[in-house]
Amino acid sequence: MDDVAPTQKARVLFVDDEPRVLTTMRMLFRSRYEVFFAESGQAALDLLKTQPVDVIVSDQRMPGMTGIEMLRAARDLNPNAMRILLTGYSDLNAIIGSINEGEIFRFVNKPWMNDDLSTTVARAVAAAKASMAAAAAAPAETADSPAVQPVAGAAGVLVMDDDPRVPPQIQTILGPSFKVYGASSMNEAVEQLEKNQIGVVISDTRVQDHPVVSLIGTLKQHHPELVSVILTDRADAGSAIELINQGQIYRFITKPIHDSQCKIAVNSAVRQHQRLAASPTLHQRYEVEAPAAPPPVAAGGTGLLDRVKSLRSWVRRLGS
Amino acid sequence: MKKLRQVFFALLAVAAIGVLVFLLRMTQSVDADLHRARLERIQVVGNLDVLLNRQFTGSRVSSLADSVTDRSGTTGQLDTALNALDKDAGALRGLTPEIDKALDTFLDTIESKFELAFDSEARNTLLTQRLINSMDAVPTYADAVTAAATDAQREEVRNLTMQVKTEIVNFGVTPTPPAAAAGNIRALLEQLQAMAPPTPPPAPVAEGEPQFEPEDPPFTKAVKGLRDRSEEVIADKTELVAKLRDFLDRPTGPQLQALEQAYMSWHEGQVAVANQYRTYLAAYAAALLLVLAFLGFRLARSFREIDRANAELSHANEHLEEQVTARTKDLSTALQDLRASQAQLVQSEKMASLGTMVAGVAHEINTPLGYARSNTEIVRNSLDDLRGLITAQDRALTLMTAQNASDEEVATALTEAEGLRATLNPAETMEDLGNLLKDTDFGLVQIADLVSSLKDFSRVDRSRTDLFDINSGIDSALKIANNLLKTRIEVVRQFGPLPQVECSPSQLNQVFLNLFTNAAQAIEGEGKIYIHTSAEAEGVIVRILDTGCGMTEEVRARIFEPFFTTKAVGKGTGLGLSIVFRIIEEHGGRIDVRSTVGKGSEFVIRLPLKQKRQSGDTAVSAAPELAAA
Repeated sequence: MDDVAPTQKARVLFVDDEPRVLTTMRMLFRSRYEVFFAESGQAALDLLKTQPVDVIVSDQRMPGMTGIEMLRAARDLNPNAMRILLTGYSDLNAIIGSINEGEIFRFVNKPWMNDDLSTTVARAVAAAKASMAAAAAAPAETADSPAVQPVAGAAGVLVMDDDPRVPPQIQTILGPSFKVYGASSMNEAVEQLEKNQIGVVISDTRVQDHPVVSLIGTLKQHHPELVSVILTDRADAGSAIELINQGQIYRFITKPIHDSQCKIAVNSAVRQHQRLAASPTLHQRYEVEAPAAPPPVAAGGTGLLDRVKSLRSWVRRLGS
Repeated sequence: MKKLRQVFFALLAVAAIGVLVFLLRMTQSVDADLHRARLERIQVVGNLDVLLNRQFTGSRVSSLADSVTDRSGTTGQLDTALNALDKDAGALRGLTPEIDKALDTFLDTIESKFELAFDSEARNTLLTQRLINSMDAVPTYADAVTAAATDAQREEVRNLTMQVKTEIVNFGVTPTPPAAAAGNIRALLEQLQAMAPPTPPPAPVAEGEPQFEPEDPPFTKAVKGLRDRSEEVIADKTELVAKLRDFLDRPTGPQLQALEQAYMSWHEGQVAVANQYRTYLAAYAAALLLVLAFLGFRLARSFREIDRANAELSHANEHLEEQVTARTKDLSTALQDLRASQAQLVQSEKMASLGTMVAGVAHEINTPLGYARSNTEIVRNSLDDLRGLITAQDRALTLMTAQNASDEEVATALTEAEGLRATLNPAETMEDLGNLLKDTDFGLVQIADLVSSLKDFSRVDRSRTDLFDINSGIDSALKIANNLLKTRIEVVRQFGPLPQVECSPSQLNQVFLNLFTNAAQAIEGEGKIYIHTSAEAEGVIVRILDTGCGMTEEVRARIFEPFFTTKAVGKGTGLGLSIVFRIIEEHGGRIDVRSTVGKGSEFVIRLPLKQKRQSGDTAVSAAPELAAA
C-alpha cells in the first residue's frame, strides 16, 4: 500500500447473505469504487487475507458468522479498513458488541436511502485514506507502542451522571493515576471541560433527562481527540445507534459497573485519546454525522453548544 | 427390617434374663442347711468315736457282756454315720481333692481301729476274765499270808496284805493304772517276803493248820502264792492297757478335725465365690434397673407424645370446620391471584414471543425492502439518464430530417447523442435495469409472502374453528421463525398429503412457532430440524425432530408444567410449552416427547380430524381466555 495513487479507486467490500443486496450495491458503487463482494462472513475474511480494502459494509444476520464476529476478525486482519454495519434489525447486545468489539464507524439501517449510504461510504473512504496517510507518515506508531501508554495526569476523565456516587466510584476503580472530575449536569460538564484538561468523557445516555448525544456529537465535531464512553443502565438500541453515528462513542458499557471491565474500557479510551491527540489526521476516522435536528440541549442552556465549540482549554492545548 | 429389630430385642431380653438366672444360681450355690447337716455329721462321727473310746476304756469286768453289746451298738451307729459322711447324698466326698484325701485318711484310721477292736475282742475277753479271776483269788491268798504270819507280825502282815489287796484292786479296776502302781505292788510283796522268819526252825503252828514242808515254810509259800496271783494280774492288766492304748492312740480325732478343717476351708471358698457373685448380681440388677428406667422414661415420653397428638387431633377435629372454611377462602383468593398472575404471565410470554417474532420479521422484510427501494432509485436515476439520451437522439433525428438544419448542427447533435450513448451503454444499462427490476419484483413477492404468512399466522380474519391445512400452517410458522432458523439450521420438510383438520388455526400456528423456537434454541451452532406430517384414519400426526441438546428424563417429565423453564431467570416465562400442551389438549389431541441428552428431542402431535361438539366448545371457549390473557 506504499504507492497509493490519489487517483486509484478506493476498495470497498460488501458482505450480505442476500445476493440481491450485493447486486444493488454493485449497481450503486461500481462506478465510484473498486467493489468486492462476499456472501458470508467466512468468505469475507478469506477475501480480506489477500485483498486489503478501505471500507467494509456488512450485514449483521448471516448464516455461520454474524456481521459483528466478522468485523472483529476483520479489524485484526485489516485494521485500517473502516467498518459499517448495514442491518435490518439488531438487538441491543449486537449493537453494543459492534461498538465495543467491532469499533464500527456507522450503523446503517435497512431499508437504506441510496444518497445517505453513498455519503456514509464516501466519508468512510475519506477517513480510511486519511488514516492510511497517517500510518504512512508515522509507520512506527502502532496501537501497542509505548509512546501511547497512558501517562498519569496527562488527561483527566470527566464523569457525567445524575447519580453523584458514580464519579467517586470510578475514581476508586481507576486508582490515583487518573484525575476524575464529576458533573451532574451539562453546564457543569462544560465548566469542567473549560477548567480542566480532559481526554475522556464517561457519560450516561441521559443527564437530567436530556439526551447527551448532541453534546457528545458537538464535542466530537469540534474536539475530535476527545473520547467518549457510555456507562448506563438505560441501554436501548435506538440511542446506542444514535450515539455511535452522531457521537462516535468509543465504548458502551452497562451498569452495574464491573471494575475490571470499566478499567479496561477507560484505559483503552485514554490510549485512544492520546493517539488522536498525537495525530490529528486520524480524526477523520471518528468523524460524526451532523445531528438531524437542532440539538434539544441548545434550548436548555443558552449558547451551551457555542461554548463547547470554543472551549478555551482546547484552544490552549491545541496551541501548546 | 422391623421384624429383624423385634427378633433382636427379644433375643436381648432372653439373654438378660439368662444372665440374671445364672447369677442368682451362683449366689445360691452355698446351701446353709446342707452345710449344717454336714457339720452335724462330722460332729456325730466325732461323738461316736469318743463314745467308742470311752466304752473301750470303761469296760467293766463286772459287765463284760454289756460293754461288748454297747460297743457293737456304737460301732453300728458309727458305721452308719461314716457312710453318711462318705457316700450318702450330701456327703463330703467329691467336693475337693483335699477333702477327699482327709476323708480317706480318716476312714482308713477308723477302719483300722475297727479291725483292731474286732481282732482283740476274744483276747481281751480272755484277759479280762483271767484278770477278774486273779483278782478274785488275791484276797484268799492274802488271807493265807496273814494266817501264815507269826502272831507278832500278824498285824503288820495284815496291813501289808490289805495294802496289796487294795493296790491290786485299784490296779485291776483303774482302766489305765499309773506305771508306778505295779512297782508299788511288787514293793509291798517284797516287804511281805522280808517278813518271813529268818531261821528255819519251824514255828509252832496251830493244830488245824496243814503241815508244810520244812524247806518251805508256810508264810513264804503264801506270799509266793500271793505274788504269783499279783503277777498274773499285773501281766494281764498291762497287756490290756497296752491294747487299750494302741486302740486309743489311733489319731481319729485330729484326722476328723483335719477333715472338718478342709471342709470348712472349702465352704469358706464357696461362700467367698457366692459373695462375689452376689456383688455381680447387685451390679447387674442395678444396670437392669437403669435400662428399665430408661425404657420406662421412653415409654412415658411416647405416651406423652401420643397424648399430645391425640389432643391435637381432637382439637383439629373440633376446629376442622372453621379451618376448612378458612382454607377454602384462602385457596379461592390464591386461585384468583394465581389466575390473575397467570393471565399476566401468559400475556408477557406472548409479548416476548411477539418481540422475537417482530425482530425476525423486521429483518426479513427490511432486507428485500432495502434492495427493492434502492433498486427503484437506481432505475429512476437510470431512466433520467436514458431520457436524456433519448432526448438527444430525438433532437439529432429531428435535425437530420429538418430542411433548414445545417450539417454542422446535425453533426453536433449526433456527436452529442453518440457521446451520451457511449457513456450510458444503453444495451447494458437496459439489461441491468431489467435485472434490478426482476430483483425488486422478487423482493416484493418475498415481502408479500411474509405479510400473507403473518396474516395466515394470526388468522385474525378467520373464525376460531375452521378447516385448516396443517402443512400450510407449518409453512407459515416456519416463515415467521425463519430468522431464527436460516442462519444456522437446516429445515427438512417431509410433508405427506393431509386432509383438512377442524381446528383453531391461529392457536395451532402458535403451537408450531413455539415448538420451532424451542427447537432452534435447543440447537447450539448448526443443526437440523425434521418436520414430518402424515395422515391417519382419524387424524393427522406431526413429528418435529431437532438435533439439539436434548433433555434429561427429569426435565422431560416436567416440560409441560407451567412456569417450568430451563432458561435463565428472566429469559423464559416457562409458559411456552404449557400453552402448547393446553392448546393440543383442547383440540382433543395429544402431544408426546422423546428426548436423548446430546442427541435431540422429538415432539409428536396427534390431532383428530373433527372436533367433538363438546371439545369444540371448549376450544372455542378457551380461545377467548387465551386471547384475553
